[in-house]
Amino acid sequence: MAILLSFDIDGTLELGDPPGGVTTEMVRKARDVGFIIGSCSDKPLSVQRKIWEDMELTPAFVSAKHQLGKVRRENPADAYYHMGDRDTDYMAAKDNNFGFWWAHEAAEQPWLEFDMNNHEQIPITT
Amino acid sequence: MARPIVPVPDPATQPFWDACNEGKLIVQYCSVCDRRQFPPEAACRDCGFNFHLTWQETSGRAKIVGYSITYDSRLVQWHPLQPFLNVIVALEEDPVINFHTNLIDDFGTNLSEEPDIPIGATCEVQFVEAEPGRMIPEWKLVK
Amino acid sequence: MAREVNWERNHDPVGIWNGRGKAALVARGHSPTDRRWDGESLDKSLGAFMMIAVQNALDDAGITIDDVDGIIGSAGGQGNGQPLSDVWGPRPYFDAPYDSEDGLTHVTGQWLRQQMGFKNLRYINNHGDPVWNLIGQASQAIADGRAEVVVVTYPNGNLPGRYHQDPSNQARGPAVWPNTWGWGLSGQGFTFNQYCQKYGTNHDRMAPFVVQERKNGLLWEHSYYAQHEPGEFTEEDYLNGRMIARDLSIFDCDRPVLAAAAYVMVSADRAKDMKQKPVYILDHTESQFSPRSLVQTIDDTEEWTDIQAQRSYNGSGLKPEDIDIFAPYDGFAVFTQYYIEAFGWRGVKRGEAHDFYAGDISLKGPNPLNSGGGNMGTGRMRTVFITDPLEQLQGRAGDRQVTTKAEVAVTHGVLPITAGTVVMSTSPD
Repeated sequence: MAILLSFDIDGTLELGDPPGGVTTEMVRKARDVGFIIGSCSDKPLSVQRKIWEDMELTPAFVSAKHQLGKVRRENPADAYYHMGDRDTDYMAAKDNNFGFWWAHEAAEQPWLEFDMNNHEQIPITT
Repeated sequence: MARPIVPVPDPATQPFWDACNEGKLIVQYCSVCDRRQFPPEAACRDCGFNFHLTWQETSGRAKIVGYSITYDSRLVQWHPLQPFLNVIVALEEDPVINFHTNLIDDFGTNLSEEPDIPIGATCEVQFVEAEPGRMIPEWKLVK
Repeated sequence: MAREVNWERNHDPVGIWNGRGKAALVARGHSPTDRRWDGESLDKSLGAFMMIAVQNALDDAGITIDDVDGIIGSAGGQGNGQPLSDVWGPRPYFDAPYDSEDGLTHVTGQWLRQQMGFKNLRYINNHGDPVWNLIGQASQAIADGRAEVVVVTYPNGNLPGRYHQDPSNQARGPAVWPNTWGWGLSGQGFTFNQYCQKYGTNHDRMAPFVVQERKNGLLWEHSYYAQHEPGEFTEEDYLNGRMIARDLSIFDCDRPVLAAAAYVMVSADRAKDMKQKPVYILDHTESQFSPRSLVQTIDDTEEWTDIQAQRSYNGSGLKPEDIDIFAPYDGFAVFTQYYIEAFGWRGVKRGEAHDFYAGDISLKGPNPLNSGGGNMGTGRMRTVFITDPLEQLQGRAGDRQVTTKAEVAVTHGVLPITAGTVVMSTSPD
């Protein structure tokens, strides 16, 4: 089963500006468990790539925040999640049928609770 | 529908909003300068005097001159409606005078695709309730 | 403090300025540039940054506080004179001198006098105009003999949270007209869209301009990007920018930052004693307009910018071909073309700016537009529009030094609706 996690950067990742609660180690662990990981942020694509370099991780995608639909089209998966700290993150997730966690929820690594063999995407309820 | 933000009249704008409540679109008119003025001000912007400034009813007909779409407003109350349409219409009898409208009846408020806005099309004013007892002008396309 | 406007040169015909060459800009000082103030670190407040910038400017000029007899500045943290505290709200304060907003989120000349120990001031004004107008006002004060050595201060602040968000569900005063219909930055996009329709161009054609400004900004040590995000910004980045409103992307909007700058301006007589080469003010002009109706249109915009450009040429006696360094404001990148076309720099006429962007506007080329990088390349501090022309004319712009002649500079901002233009020259004549 393929599950995609899209990380906003500013206010979400610890390398963001302002820093968020999702650490590089959490992202690394998500990758190691088998999630498809990438970023979707207002930061320029080139800056996002640099941040992944700094984390010493290879993302499956980097994307502008309004292009979550493209992320879905280009990355086949069984379930899609985005996480961020702003209304625009929530709306982007909602418009593209991604599950959504606020940044403080994401810092609890809710994806680690998933059964990777039998998972239904949690709908947006916030 | 209730509007995200409602206007609070002040002495300079009270006549305009009162007229809206009566279903009339009025603008200021300076009889010396022979010009209409909107938005309302304490004095004529050209001559600087208020002696010859009166209110004049308009036809309420206007033409679409352009539009914008807001995807990320600084106005928090509008966030749930994003993206939303902002259309500018110019008064038919005096194209210098322009107004905002959201053209909600014709295009709705949730724009997933950019709409095909007919520039130059004629609209007519309608008054919608922003809150109980407070009407504001909006426009709709004349089909 | 009430806004003082009787010094402005805003009635046509302005004629050649009678203060021409009597005032000079000689030195600049900057603070570090941060993204925002954390609300706690007193060594990083706007007041602390302003003091750093003032001391750096004095050191650059080779003078001491005792030489200064005037302070003209903006107190506001938001560039328009509105203290950041207006949106920040009441909060507990610290011990003196940080026991009010003054020194934290805005900085008055009076606060600086107290903290830094200025003893010989005879003129203080901090009405909050944009930096071009402050340079104009200081030039006028010096030319009129009201002060001889003036420090111009320009702090720009930013606090945690989103910038300029308005949570109100009611609109009052002038805000009833935009807010009732959700109008806002859509206005910038609307006018730009009218421009594109009028001249057959489009938003993507802005890319070379913004990319070049970001490149130039990386060469300015005080740029936010040079200090905190030094990677290359590409056309791909620009073209993928999220739209804030139609035809206005996030990369057309300057990034709010926390920074302060100060300038030393002196009389032509005193200029000879300064450590740095003087750059003389040949003219300053200002303007304030109103739209013909509710919404600013492309016709309003072109009329206003034409009036201000002609006013400046009338005041300086120069022609477009006399301008070596041109620094038109870009706080929204989508309005810089109005200024280039109004001033006709490098022969650019109405509707031609995007063709100009597609040509060579590189730093070392023949048309080094906004050689400092503008706000797009440095962050929302505006002071690069003074520092870069100054350094170019002084020949100390380092890696940013243009290869074309750099003897006359024109810097212009802030909005089409309210503007100030300053003309600088290596020669007082």
